[in-house]
Amino acid sequence: MNAAQPGLPAATAPRASLWRTALYKLRRDRAGLLGLAVVVLYLVAAVGAWCGWWAGDWALITGTKWGPVSAQHWFGTNIIGQDIFQRAIYSTGTAFQVGLVVAVLAVGMGAVIGAVGGFFAATWIDEIVLWLMGVLDAIPFYLMVAAIAFALADNPYAMHVAMVSTFWTTTGRLVRGEVIKLRGLEFVEAARAIGVPPVAIIFRHILPNTFHILLVQLTLCFVDAIKAEVVLSFLGLGVKDGMSWGLMISESTLEFLAGHFNNLIVASALLFGLVFAFNMLADALQDALDPKQVA
Amino acid sequence: MDILQYALRRLLAGLPLLLGVTLFSFTLMVYFGPDKTFELLGKNPTAQEIAEVRHQLGYDRPFVLRYGEYLRELATVDFGNSDSTGERVSSLLARTIPVSLALELPGFVLGNLLGIALALLAAYHRGRWPDKLIMGLSVIGMSISFLVVIFVFQIWFCTSHGLDLFPVRGWGTASLADYLRHVTVPTLAMVFVALGYNTRFYRAVIVEEMGRDHVRTARAFGAAPARLFWRDILKNCAIPVITRIVFTIPAIVIGGALLLETSFGIPGVGKAAYEAIISGDQPVLKAVVGLTTALFVIALLVADILYRAVDPRVSLE
Amino acid sequence: MNHPTPLLALRDLVVEFDTMAGRVRAVDGVSLDVFPEESLALVGESGCGKTVTALSILRLVPQPPGRIAGGSIRFDGRDLLALPESGMRAVRGRDIAMIFQEPMTALNPVFTVGAQLGDVIRRHQRLSRREARKASLALLEQVGIPEPGRRIDEYPHQLSGGQRQRVMIAMALSCGPRLLVADEPTTALDVTTQAQVLEEIRRLQAEYRMAMILVTHDLGIVAETCTRAVVMYCGQVVEAATTAALFSRPHHPYTVGLLDSIPRLRETRLAELPVIPGRVPDPLQLPAGCRFADRCPRVSAECRVVSPPLVATADGGLVACYHPHP
Repeated sequence: MNAAQPGLPAATAPRASLWRTALYKLRRDRAGLLGLAVVVLYLVAAVGAWCGWWAGDWALITGTKWGPVSAQHWFGTNIIGQDIFQRAIYSTGTAFQVGLVVAVLAVGMGAVIGAVGGFFAATWIDEIVLWLMGVLDAIPFYLMVAAIAFALADNPYAMHVAMVSTFWTTTGRLVRGEVIKLRGLEFVEAARAIGVPPVAIIFRHILPNTFHILLVQLTLCFVDAIKAEVVLSFLGLGVKDGMSWGLMISESTLEFLAGHFNNLIVASALLFGLVFAFNMLADALQDALDPKQVA
Repeated sequence: MDILQYALRRLLAGLPLLLGVTLFSFTLMVYFGPDKTFELLGKNPTAQEIAEVRHQLGYDRPFVLRYGEYLRELATVDFGNSDSTGERVSSLLARTIPVSLALELPGFVLGNLLGIALALLAAYHRGRWPDKLIMGLSVIGMSISFLVVIFVFQIWFCTSHGLDLFPVRGWGTASLADYLRHVTVPTLAMVFVALGYNTRFYRAVIVEEMGRDHVRTARAFGAAPARLFWRDILKNCAIPVITRIVFTIPAIVIGGALLLETSFGIPGVGKAAYEAIISGDQPVLKAVVGLTTALFVIALLVADILYRAVDPRVSLE
Repeated sequence: MNHPTPLLALRDLVVEFDTMAGRVRAVDGVSLDVFPEESLALVGESGCGKTVTALSILRLVPQPPGRIAGGSIRFDGRDLLALPESGMRAVRGRDIAMIFQEPMTALNPVFTVGAQLGDVIRRHQRLSRREARKASLALLEQVGIPEPGRRIDEYPHQLSGGQRQRVMIAMALSCGPRLLVADEPTTALDVTTQAQVLEEIRRLQAEYRMAMILVTHDLGIVAETCTRAVVMYCGQVVEAATTAALFSRPHHPYTVGLLDSIPRLRETRLAELPVIPGRVPDPLQLPAGCRFADRCPRVSAECRVVSPPLVATADGGLVACYHPHP
């Protein structure tokens, strides 16, 4: 449907009303609010794990091998008698650490590089930006991670660096496209005409106007990061010390043949809950912030 | 303009990309990559022994020369022998790539066809319950980790804890039955994981097309819904669909199979790449990265040619 | 009127849209008649509901968010709103044809002109591909497209805006409809093309003996093209009259305001173009009485209580105003 719907009130003051309508729509989006609530719940669990309020005994052997579900061990124990529930909660902290670091850095990087490319579209600067994004998109993800892990000599943040350096291109492309659109608008032309330097135009006038894209990208990037962590940890390229859902799931492969699935069930259920909640939140944000949607 | 000439020009335009990827991956994987010196040496090597081995491995030569060597290998598709097994890299690829293709083709085709079918269904009933159901299931599907899907399917289909119908690991193409026995569970896992993403993507594309003015025109002149979908919408959707399909191909030929092949013990190129990563087998890594990039450049070209075939507005210029 | 039975009769048509902020009545109780072979203008500012009215005739209001919530649309004695969707499809293009504002986007970019024309022809008439192509060629020739033999195999993006609109017109004529609904057919074209396309529409309307509803905001076009005009404001009809009467003696203060705001060539001082003060009311918070009251120079207390009904005027038109201009 085209933006100009017959019979509807014309949108005035697009920017201010974009946020107001977004908030309005978000408040009426029950799935999105539920997603937000679940994310907040997880965040509380994560913050508690960071601060050592709970799940401090995740590494201790507190029970017998493959202990059953009990009042002491809510989800039983693993192959060497560690408490699965504590490990899962502690892993929530790891998931947020990975997700937040990767999402903030990747989206920030994408925003800046994309904005520079878009602002200088059709010049050599933009050519370089496009080339860089094309190159990074062409390298297979797992190889990239492995390569960075090697290059950083088993640094615990190798995984983060690898994810950031591949994930930012999505945001970069979106922001670049949006900036090319914004660049032609009057307020940017006016700023240029009165001699505001490009850096100030990009950061003060253009980037704030791409914030709706960045917000959605943050949630999507977070989801990608924690999903990738699981796979990378399984492949031995992920979390090096500490505990994560990915490590729990790979640990659980040792238990399948004996018929013990608690590790797998708990870790994948928690992972699913968080990813699902984030996906619902991302959808709600996308719907609420889509300037094309009238109704 | 002649299509062949155009193809050549596009391939030339892909050169910077090829150079970029190889430079990047060479720097990371080879120059800063794993050092095999001490694996090849005995205990307590002398400085001279170390230098000798480093010379043999070529570690002492300058960056530019080593990178140039890589490019030459790439151009001649001759990457020497694997560091770990001594097998020629070219024969390793010739052995593993067909396995990966045979493994992934059914899942890829089914995942996209089912995705398009579900997306059409959802878009046709837009806003009503079939749409909401399909979209809800898609988000659920998107939220489940590929790894978890693989494990659950393995336990469910392949062990005595479930149906115990298929082997957990291994590969065979001796007969059709053998092939089906090994390919079924990986295919199911692949389709399950891809379906949510595909359905959402295709639905978004179709819904966007449905809102176009020319669709309203077709309706104003009495076109029936089925005809609208098959003629007035589907062909217009071709560009994003082609983009998605063509650009996933390089990834699934090389990279995407990695997880599937390692967890099902299938000797494809993904598993070979994974083993090369773990053991630091540089000739294999170099070959895999180089080939993926080459495929990527070819995919760019194929996509361009296909765009032109489906959309008259795209010209070869 | 000379024609006793209307070809198309709208009665109390109501079209609603669900928006984020609530339900909006884009068309609120519109009644109008179109007689065979006449050309009726539907005039008003953007957002007054004229396009939605036109779309509802073919039941093309996007649904959701829109919905025809009440009233009736009788075409040639049949109630179109009561037809099943398949029956409606038979009407679209064959009995009633529509041309749209944006010739850029109204044609499918990935099919040739000939394919799209032939498609419509074959949908409603039993013709072979070759016959349909011949008919398409004849139509393209008829709507004044140069070199139709070449153009027929071209894609819409290879044509100019005027040519594209001519293709749309050819499509509309292809099945010999009795009613043509033209929604701002020349608004997107440049001025010289506008005049040519309009002339073409007028000529073909007479030639094909069709009735026409021309939706426009341009009073100049109304004067040139139409025999009768209906003025809409805020989803309602405020005045209906023959074009001659409307221009020489407008009754509704809104119509008067519209006519006053047209620049006239012979005017000595162009700078002092009068405008209608105020703004169109928010469709979500419509006033209780007359919707034009807040902008009306002739407003009285009565106007703000009950909306004025449409009543007959001395010169045979209709007006919805308690204090019409004489």
